[in-house]
Amino acid sequence: MQLAVNILVLASIYALIACGYVLVYRVSRVLNLAHGELMMLGAYALFATASSFPGHPFAAVAAAALLALAVGGLVYWLLMRRMTGEAVLAAVLATIGLGILLRGAMVLAWGPQERHPLQALGMSNASFAIGDARISSVGLLLFTATASVYLGLYAFLRYTAWGVRMRAAGQNPLLAAQRGIRLHAVYALAWGLSTFTAGLAGMLIASESALDQTMVVIGLKAFPAALVGGLDSLAGALVGALIVGAAEVLSIHYIDPLLAEVVPFLVLLAMLIVRPWGLFGAREELDRV
Amino acid sequence: MKKTLRFTLMPLIVAASAGALAQDAYVIGVSAAMTGPAAGSYAPAVEAMKAYLDSVNSRGGINGKPVRLIVLDDSAEPSKAAANAKRLLAQDKVVLLMNSSLSSTYAPVVAEAKRAGVPLYFAGAVCPKDTYPPADPMQFCSTAFGANLDSQAALAFVKDNAREPVRLGLAAMAIPIARAEIEYAEGLSKTLGMTPVDKEISPPPAPDYTPFATKLKEAGPNWVYSWSPWVSQIRTFEALRRLGWGGRYITWAHLNAEEELGRVKDGELYVIGTNAFFRDEPPMAAEIRAVAHRANLNYPVTFLTEGFIAGLVVETALKNTPWPATPAKVLAAMNRLKVDLKGLRGGPLEWTRDNHFRTKQYYRVWRWDPAKQQVTRVQDWRVIEVKR
Repeated sequence: MQLAVNILVLASIYALIACGYVLVYRVSRVLNLAHGELMMLGAYALFATASSFPGHPFAAVAAAALLALAVGGLVYWLLMRRMTGEAVLAAVLATIGLGILLRGAMVLAWGPQERHPLQALGMSNASFAIGDARISSVGLLLFTATASVYLGLYAFLRYTAWGVRMRAAGQNPLLAAQRGIRLHAVYALAWGLSTFTAGLAGMLIASESALDQTMVVIGLKAFPAALVGGLDSLAGALVGALIVGAAEVLSIHYIDPLLAEVVPFLVLLAMLIVRPWGLFGAREELDRV
Repeated sequence: MKKTLRFTLMPLIVAASAGALAQDAYVIGVSAAMTGPAAGSYAPAVEAMKAYLDSVNSRGGINGKPVRLIVLDDSAEPSKAAANAKRLLAQDKVVLLMNSSLSSTYAPVVAEAKRAGVPLYFAGAVCPKDTYPPADPMQFCSTAFGANLDSQAALAFVKDNAREPVRLGLAAMAIPIARAEIEYAEGLSKTLGMTPVDKEISPPPAPDYTPFATKLKEAGPNWVYSWSPWVSQIRTFEALRRLGWGGRYITWAHLNAEEELGRVKDGELYVIGTNAFFRDEPPMAAEIRAVAHRANLNYPVTFLTEGFIAGLVVETALKNTPWPATPAKVLAAMNRLKVDLKGLRGGPLEWTRDNHFRTKQYYRVWRWDPAKQQVTRVQDWRVIEVKR
């Protein structure tokens, strides 16, 4: 039972991070390699808003989440919009540059010390029993938040006008533009939502453990989950996260804890060999060397 | 932020004037992880040392000469550390080179220092084996933690305080030095009559430590010992507690340990270390507070002890270096050094020609006292002789 809980919590972390990669990729075919940094920025935003709204944790979380949404939109409007019409590689390189810039800016702003947003919010992370297993409050919140985000995104993409526009822009941007869809607004929204989910993941991970510069690496560890599921499929990201999370937890428990670092990438390599577009991804024309 | 920005730009400003001023000052070069994922473990020590040496300069310097500290950021990257060392040695003509960064940066820095014949001093960074007796002639170290000695002291504390036969769990981060130490502790525990029940090595960093803690808990330890970077130590402990584990946990007291004991507030979490806590009110505490305040350091004062120890070591070594300073004269001074650490450790730090680590290592143990609602000392200085 405890193993099942551990798998669910770890898969929730990976799924919440991975959906941000998917949102941007499925709309614009850009791989956002600054996703880990944007996640960390969301966590620092919570740390900052916690001191701005002392005694009001929900206001602090809401403010930090809105900030993350706005930052995502701004990143698109100020940087990625200028990559329109350029090769995808140029856009990917721009995200790498953005990541380096954000990392430096965060060290300048908050220093290299470990921070504890949950403590700053005046809250604690108690655990409670589920059968013979135990789960932390933040662990449960991670699971709930991930489920809510995926359900929300499903409903948004399927039933709202902006969601339909986003899907249309992802499938055929030229046709979508000819039908009057404002592509820049759609892309900005995708970046905003992606950064919102990344920020949420950062806030929850920092609340479960702590916030430091290593969070960027955790952002990268979720990347295999997105690729295994298929980079343009939200359902795929969910399944990919579950596969990668399960492989990691089970290898820690039954084989060797040291495998935790490599197992996600072993799963990814296996998937790339068998099905390069992922479990639920769309088969596209692949450029070959 | 202003402070950090100033610190980041400072080496550039210093570098521009260093050539002209070198002959008027003791010039010391530092390659340090001031940014990057590892910076939290190193930057406070370097900034504290700089603040202390600035205060020494404000009192007239050493032997009438100021100390000029040139700090270059290596982000814990070996290639940057190598470039820093080359620049500091060739361009800035430092008489002492310092390293405060990850051990992966050591090899290129050691090679450059040896080639230039300049002594190399590790402060705030893990002490290389080469500083233990018989020491490499050019390498020195004052950092608090010491491989093998720390495990000897920690397990001695466990043995003295065990209420029942010890079933020992071991936890470490998957980095070479921590793994080697925890394997040493595993062997040592058997000789002390303990039963090692599990050893968990977690990668740096893990998004969730619960899977590692689950396995550790299932092995049924009544004590767990961890010797690693703080992130791994404390998150394993917190994950164990969330799983309902009720045993006792002993771990190394890093720079932030005093603050962290106050945050975690667990009466069975013990930290063992060689640097005094501010709670102990060492004689130098007031001076550290004053210097940190003047320098407007962004860290809690409890993070600064290691850096002030480095500052005291540099000050003493240079006091014993006749002017004009040369690397050979600094080396000679460091080979017979005795530094009064003013209560920051259990005794003086002493280097000899053969021992560039220290001749004696002193350990204290602290925990959070739930009754008093404060950090309390549970073991006073225990001495371990550092031998071959």
